[in-house]
Amino acid sequence: MSIQETQAPVLVVRDLVRRFGDLTAVDGVSFAIARGETFGLLGPNGAGKTTTISMVAGLIPADAGTVTVGGEQMSPRSVAPKRLIGLVPQDLAIYPELTARENLTFFGRLQGIGGAALKSRVEEVLSLIGLGERAKEATKNFSGGMKRRLNIGIGLLHQPELLILDEPTVGVDPQSRNSILESVEALSGEGMAVLYTTHYMEEAERLCDRIAIIDSGTVQAEGTRDELIRLTGGVDHIRLEGSGDTAAAATLLRELPAVQAVDADRHSLVLTVRDAPTAVAGIVNGATNAGMSLADVQISRPDLESVFLHLTGKALRD
Amino acid sequence: MRQLLTMTASDLRQRVRDRSVLIFALVVPLALMYVFNLVFGGMTEIELEPVTVAVAAPAEDELAPVLEDVLTQVDGLDVTLQEVPADQVRSVVDAGEAGVGVVVPEGFGAAVMQGEAVTVQVIEGDGTGLEAGVVISVLDGVLAQLTAATVTATAAAGSGLPPEQLAEIAQASLASGPPLEVTEGQAADEQLGPAAGLVAGQTGLFLLFTVGFGVLGLVTEREQGTLARLHAMPMRPGLIIAAKGLVSFVLGVVATSVLLTVGGLLFGVSFGSPVAVAVLVVCVVAAATSLMFIIARVARTAEQAGIAQSIVALVLGIAGGAFFPITGTGALAQVLDLNPIAAFTRGLGITAGGGGVADLGVPVAIMLGFGVVMVLVSRLVPDRGAAL
Repeated sequence: MSIQETQAPVLVVRDLVRRFGDLTAVDGVSFAIARGETFGLLGPNGAGKTTTISMVAGLIPADAGTVTVGGEQMSPRSVAPKRLIGLVPQDLAIYPELTARENLTFFGRLQGIGGAALKSRVEEVLSLIGLGERAKEATKNFSGGMKRRLNIGIGLLHQPELLILDEPTVGVDPQSRNSILESVEALSGEGMAVLYTTHYMEEAERLCDRIAIIDSGTVQAEGTRDELIRLTGGVDHIRLEGSGDTAAAATLLRELPAVQAVDADRHSLVLTVRDAPTAVAGIVNGATNAGMSLADVQISRPDLESVFLHLTGKALRD
Repeated sequence: MRQLLTMTASDLRQRVRDRSVLIFALVVPLALMYVFNLVFGGMTEIELEPVTVAVAAPAEDELAPVLEDVLTQVDGLDVTLQEVPADQVRSVVDAGEAGVGVVVPEGFGAAVMQGEAVTVQVIEGDGTGLEAGVVISVLDGVLAQLTAATVTATAAAGSGLPPEQLAEIAQASLASGPPLEVTEGQAADEQLGPAAGLVAGQTGLFLLFTVGFGVLGLVTEREQGTLARLHAMPMRPGLIIAAKGLVSFVLGVVATSVLLTVGGLLFGVSFGSPVAVAVLVVCVVAAATSLMFIIARVARTAEQAGIAQSIVALVLGIAGGAFFPITGTGALAQVLDLNPIAAFTRGLGITAGGGGVADLGVPVAIMLGFGVVMVLVSRLVPDRGAAL
């Protein structure tokens, strides 16, 4: 576990275990999140992300392990630590018969806010999520994206120290999705700790300071993006397609210092290299000089998908 | 407390907005009361057709006019007397000109006065039905009274009294009426007439639907995801359940009170002391609400909850007399007695008959006992929808 050492963690999860009958949904998960940090739980559907979040938010009890929020132990019967969290569930959690303003006011009251402070904060959040002009409308008439934004707004209303977002962009149009991601970036910038679960690699790469890759209820690896990518060996791949003497080109290219390996067939070469952007010019020249007429050159660099594949042997979206 | 009231107020607001509670709790039961009252109310009011009675009586007999007078004074039955000679009574009846024929023999009055046996011949026509039955019953009654006088006179004669005193005693016996009189009483739940029973029964039946809008909201919230968010709020989980129970209770009390009041006004029914009725309403709503907690734990989805609620409501409602009075004997009667809707109806019977709060011990105990048992059972039943 590595957290920013200058700050006490807002959330500490230790050896969390949760079983449903014979299935162990979460098996010894540990991590910590500091103030201002966005921490991602990246894994496919069924990996144990939502179960982990349910225990972190005090919705279900853990069979073993502890969750501490702001120094207070969390459980379904806890009250104090729940004041510190804002939960944005994966499923929309808003009342369709109530207006956007009434939804925010209702949950604000349950959070203990009242009077002018609540009224002012509701208007702030309505403006933040871009629903100020539709505030008086029953949410059953809202689009999916508007409902998603309100779903997030409710989680933010009481300005929690820890915001928990469970796959907030599932089923959202690209425009709303981008808006949500920008909001999360802004919140993190304001010092809020964010726990973000997703199975979208791009979201985790864009938002998260640190990422835990989770599969089958266990954390496979944890670290910054670069730290995780180094787990794959940090090599890139360059694919050359064309005609000519691919065997001669392969022999020549293997001699280049940046090239670690070459796989060849009649029409293409796949090279494993260090730092592909730097090496690609020399490789293209070498292939051409060896008599290959190139039709296409592709560079692929390792990403979190590669890391997941490397760690689990399966693709992230399986 | 503030959170409890916030959740309760929000739930009530939503229930009123979606209008389903207004339809189920008020509109449908009132409409059904009206329809059932039209259908069943008419069946209980039997109208007797006019009937003609052919009478042959000796002209100078002292007591024969008594029989004739009695026949013309039957409540609810229009009797026309047709005086005919004794030998023509049967033919008149057979011809259908009269529904009943009565032949008073010569010396009828004197025989009664002297305590001697005497026979009055009654001929019933074909197809006269209930009206002839009523005429014959009335004649039976009068003749029984005359027979009593005869027996009295005979007994007096046996004791050696002079004839003039025998006549006085016989007349006194006639005038005094029967020595024993049977008065028809009513059980508590029978003190509600057909219309009142219908109002009470329908109110009880639809109460079981109305209270579902509160507690069974737990299942709906679980499905729409808001229950998870409520559990993440800084409050005890028990407050959420308490709020749902309070919503059920408020909706139940309001709907039951409105139905009894409006139903009473529409059908001209009075249920007696408002305070006693209020006690019954509070108890039956508490009992009905407690039952919903079991359904909320057993049902995984709102659809399952709705089906279970409908089954429970119909079984308890019908057994409680929502459509017609249900009675049983032995063990069945004891089971029926434990039905809170039946206890509610019985309680309304007591209040409608003039009873007060002090007279409601048994129905109140049944309803509150039912509520306590249901709450305890609901804590023991596994929560099938608990996995979020």
